[in-house]
This record gives sequence, C-alpha cells and structure tokens, in this order.
Amino acid sequence: MSALSGAPALAGVLSRSDVWRGDSLARAALPGVPSGFAALDAELPGGGWPRGGLVELLPARQGIGELSLLMPALAHVSANELSWVVCVAPPLPPYAPAWAAAGVALSRLLVTRAVGGDAAWACARALDAEGVGALVAWLPESDAGTLRRLQLLAEKSRTLIFLFRPAAAARESSPAPLRIGVTAANDPGRLTLRLIKRRGGALESPLELDMARPAPSPHAVAGPPPSAAAARSLPATAVA
Amino acid sequence: MRLADAWALLPELVVQERDAERERRRLETLACWAGGFTSEVSLAQPDALLLEVAGSLRLFGGLDALLARLLHGIAGQGHAARAALAPTPRAALWLAAAGEAGCTEVPRCLSPAGLRDALAGLPLEVLELEPARERQLNGFGVRCLGDILRLPRSGLARRLGVDFASALAQALGELPDLRERFRFPETFRESLELPARVEDAGRLFFAALRLVQVLCGWLAARGSGIVACRLQLEHERTCATPLELVFTAPTRDPERIGRVLRERLDRLSLAAPVETLVLLAGTPEPLPGREGGLFGETAAGEGVMLLVERLQARLGEASVHAVAARPEHRPERASVSVAPGLGSAAVFPGPRPCWLLPRPQPLSEVGGRPQRDGPLTLLAGPERIESGWWDAGEAEAVGDVRRDYFVALSSRHEWLWVYRCHEGWFLHGHFS
Repeated sequence: MSALSGAPALAGVLSRSDVWRGDSLARAALPGVPSGFAALDAELPGGGWPRGGLVELLPARQGIGELSLLMPALAHVSANELSWVVCVAPPLPPYAPAWAAAGVALSRLLVTRAVGGDAAWACARALDAEGVGALVAWLPESDAGTLRRLQLLAEKSRTLIFLFRPAAAARESSPAPLRIGVTAANDPGRLTLRLIKRRGGALESPLELDMARPAPSPHAVAGPPPSAAAARSLPATAVA
Repeated sequence: MRLADAWALLPELVVQERDAERERRRLETLACWAGGFTSEVSLAQPDALLLEVAGSLRLFGGLDALLARLLHGIAGQGHAARAALAPTPRAALWLAAAGEAGCTEVPRCLSPAGLRDALAGLPLEVLELEPARERQLNGFGVRCLGDILRLPRSGLARRLGVDFASALAQALGELPDLRERFRFPETFRESLELPARVEDAGRLFFAALRLVQVLCGWLAARGSGIVACRLQLEHERTCATPLELVFTAPTRDPERIGRVLRERLDRLSLAAPVETLVLLAGTPEPLPGREGGLFGETAAGEGVMLLVERLQARLGEASVHAVAARPEHRPERASVSVAPGLGSAAVFPGPRPCWLLPRPQPLSEVGGRPQRDGPLTLLAGPERIESGWWDAGEAEAVGDVRRDYFVALSSRHEWLWVYRCHEGWFLHGHFS
C-alpha cells in the first residue's frame, strides 16, 4: 500500500522548483549574460555566461581564439549594461583598435598590471567595487585557496568573472562552478569547447563554435616584398 | 605647591613646562578639524572653541547626531572635551566650564528665554574672576551666578566695573557679543609628534588618520577637495620619507583618503624609526557638488574610481590604466595607455589583433612563405601600411614604415597578424 502511494509523491517532489535532478541542467539564480553563441548558451545554466561564480577557461595554447569567445559578452556588458570591464594581469596590454572593433566601450575598460598575489588581490578589489560588470583575469599561478576565496567573493557579487588558466590546470580540482577547456577545431575559425564542469554535470560531447574571424580573401597572396621605406625619401647627402 | 615639595612626595614625577605657544597651535589645529562641522569657528583663548552649529543641524541629521559625532571626533583627536550648548557664546563657555570632561551628557540651553535659569545654578568659578573680585562678591553674599543675576545691574556696573556688567548682558543675549571668526590657513601643513618612536609603518596608520581628519575639516571649511597630498615621515637623523597620496578626483572623504593611506603604509618598509608625521595638502580644488541618484543610488562610475585609487595605491600609478585607440596608421602608435576613463575608439580599415607584440618578431621564410611551427597560411590581406616619414630616425619613434599586413593561420591554429617588409617577414600580433 505504502509502495503504491510512494510513486506519485516522488513525481510531486521532483516537480518542485527547489529540487534539482543531477542529470538535468541546473537552473541559475541569475539569468546569464548571452555569450553570443546560441549553441553555447543552450548548454549553460541560466542561458548564458553565469554571474556570481567563476568561469574558468583553460585554453590549450594562447592565441587560438580564447578571447574572441568572450568578446560578445564583454561588449554586451560594456555597451548595453554600461558597466566597466576590468582586465587583471593580461599577457600584453589590450590593443585598443581590436577591442573597440569588437564592441567594448574603451571608456569603461580598465587594465591592471599585477603579478602573483597582487593579481588575485586586484581581482578581489574589483569584485568589491560597484559598477564593474565583467572581470577578465589571467591567473596562471593561482592555487586552490586563492580560487576558493575569489569564488566566495564572486557569490556575493553580480560581476561576470572569467579566469584564464593554463590547460594543465584542468587536472586539478577547482572551486569554479563552470570550467571550460578550449582547443582549436580542425576547421580553421572554429573552436572546440569541452565543458569539464558545470552545474548540471559535465557535457560529454564537445561543442564546436564558429568564431567571428577576419574574412578570408582569395587574393591573400604575398607579392614581392615592399621596397625599403627610406628609398622614397631623399638620400641624406642630397639635403646638403 | 612648590615643585620641590611635589618631588618630595612623588620622586618619579615627570615635570613639563607649560608651553602656551604649542597650546595655541593645538587649538588652531582643532579649529581646522572643527571646520568639518561648521565654517563659523571662533577661538576663545586659551582653551576653548566656539562653533556656530545651528546651520549644520540638517546636514548632520539633528542636534544629537551632531553632538555625538563632535564628541567622538574630538576624542579621536586625543582630547577630552567639556561641551555645552547655548544661544550665546559666553553662556556656552560658562556652561562648558562648569561641565565635566569627556561627559556625553551635554548641558544645553536652546532658547534665549531659558538662559537665566540655565546660568543660575553655575558656581562663581566659571567667571574666572580675579581673587579680589571674587572675595568682593562673596562679601555681598553671592554664592552662585543666580545670586548675581538677581542684583540690580546698575549697582553691579558701579561696583565691579562696566566690563563685568556687559559680560553678564552678553551672556544673557542683551548685548551683542562679536567674536572674531577663525581664519582657516591658506595652505595646510599639520604635524603630529608621536609619543614614542615607531618602527613599523603599519602602526602609523591611526596617528596619520588623526591628521587626515584635520585635513578634511580644513577642506570642508573651504568647500573644496584635494587630488593629492603628502605625508612626510620624519626621522631623527636621516631625511624625511615622503609618501604621496593621489586620488582620481577631488575628495575630502576621510575614509577614502584613509583607504589609500593604508595601502601605501602597508607596503612601506621604514629605513629608520619615525618621530613625527607631517601632512601637507596640495592645492585645494573646488569639489563638484554630488548629484544624488533619482532613487538614492550612487553615481555610476564612482565605485570604479575608488577601485582605481586603491589599485594605484598598491600597484603603482602606471600599472592601472585604460587604453585608447588613436587615428594613426602605424599599428604601434594606434593604441596608447591613458588615464582610466579616458579610453576612446577610432575606426581602422582592416582587421586588427587583440594583442599587439611590443616588438615585431622576425619569422623565417621558406619558399616565399613565412614559417612559425611550419608554414603559415595567409588568409586575408595584404593591407599596405605606409606612413611615418616625419619621425624617421628619431629615438624611440617607430619611424617610416612600408609594410604589407596579412592575417595568417599557423599549423597550431593560432591566428596571427604578420607583415612583410623589405627586411622579411615579421609576426606583429595575435588575434586571440
């Protein structure tokens, strides 16, 4: 008798909004920031990059397009939400023409050079500050303790937080609720994302995304090398 | 009691001579600090300050809140004050003289009509009369101020002098009591001698904060803020260690100045113990009025400016910046570091990489194709950039360039920005 009445009760319990089944995608407390890639949004809790938690990105190597992956979201935060984008410890200073072309408002971009512990400290301060919409940090040497402290701060804020860490860090455990391995796909201009960890369980099959890339032109052929620029100007002896 | 007698009773007694000049300077420092509460400050030598607070009540949220902050602040300055509140300066001075130091219950009389009753109970000592006069009054049978107030005024003027009678009239508000207003100094320089030599910079914070409070009072009275100030740590023998505090916008918020100060002090290692702190303010700048948000929110961007200040205090000013694109053909010159908030965009004809290498990296060439982990595939280009004849040959300048730029893909799927010039192939940026 009790076994019979148990079945409908279980269905009732499962339909409650505060009960979450481990095999389905978690419902996020805050709606996510659209990533600009529909295929990725569909796989992320909250329908976009989640706020209030670390997003750890583990690119196989630098320069494969890991930053282009974030650009639509950064542009959204900076141009639509009028919040600031803070870069902490980037490998090189951001090149203004490209960031502006991607849609990031440069008047609300802050770049901080810092090393080691100072970089994590700068991240923590940026999370405290009001008006910071997105934080992009390069923390190659951070340990689990640092990440845990940042995650605790992140939970209290509404800031979007992207951390770039080396691909080797994928083997270590991390308190970040979303971890993504980024590799280049065989097709040029495409990226393969592996959702190593997310609320709702890892995604088994990798995602392939099309990146916005400079359009290839059929005429990209190197001609003869340009002559030396100095050949145009008058030889120094002629000026006398 | 003579000094010899005192020493006989207490051999470990430390005697210090009273220094009227230093007392006067201290009073002026406190007057500066009191500028944070009202701009109408007047010195009552040798040991009293008169503040006209009626105009400040609304700003501080009422009389009780104002008094609480005042007493708390003065305790923070290291003094136990006797405070009193009255409609006339002289009555306030007398009431305060009868009060108890450090007492939070402030004797107050808020209406001129109640002055007579409020003063009646005060002892004669508050008048600070000469002993002969006091004896004379005692001879009349006068024991307290109320007894004097009952005597006919004309008789008092004849017996004790017109000054005495007019002082009474001023206290009761019957005669005007004109007081010279304290003139806030034009430049700010305050010093604080530490009671003991300090070797750890972090422990200087609270002493320095006391100076910052005085600075903020001075700034409030002038209606201005500062963008820079300097804290000098003076040592016994070596020259002083200067500590420059820089802010992104004019401010007179002691908390904000304190935050920057703490970051700077935490990072400082002292070469020698500190004896004295000196705070010097830069030129005060008019503080723009703050617009409250429509729904009580703080102005956007302000939080970020505070962040910039904290980051700069710890990491150095040059380490926190924004980037701006400039309409300039040569890629090296098209992006510059600017102060936070001043970034601006420009339009460029071709694709530009997210990261530009500080120096172009030479690439080898095999069979007419540039190499980096194998041959590069050229995807887009060429974009000819030919410019810069005007600074050719100058030091640190990019000079005259003539380059063909291409977007290239490496065998390891990196998107690169490469160029070819007469010297060969170079890698100049990463599309990340």
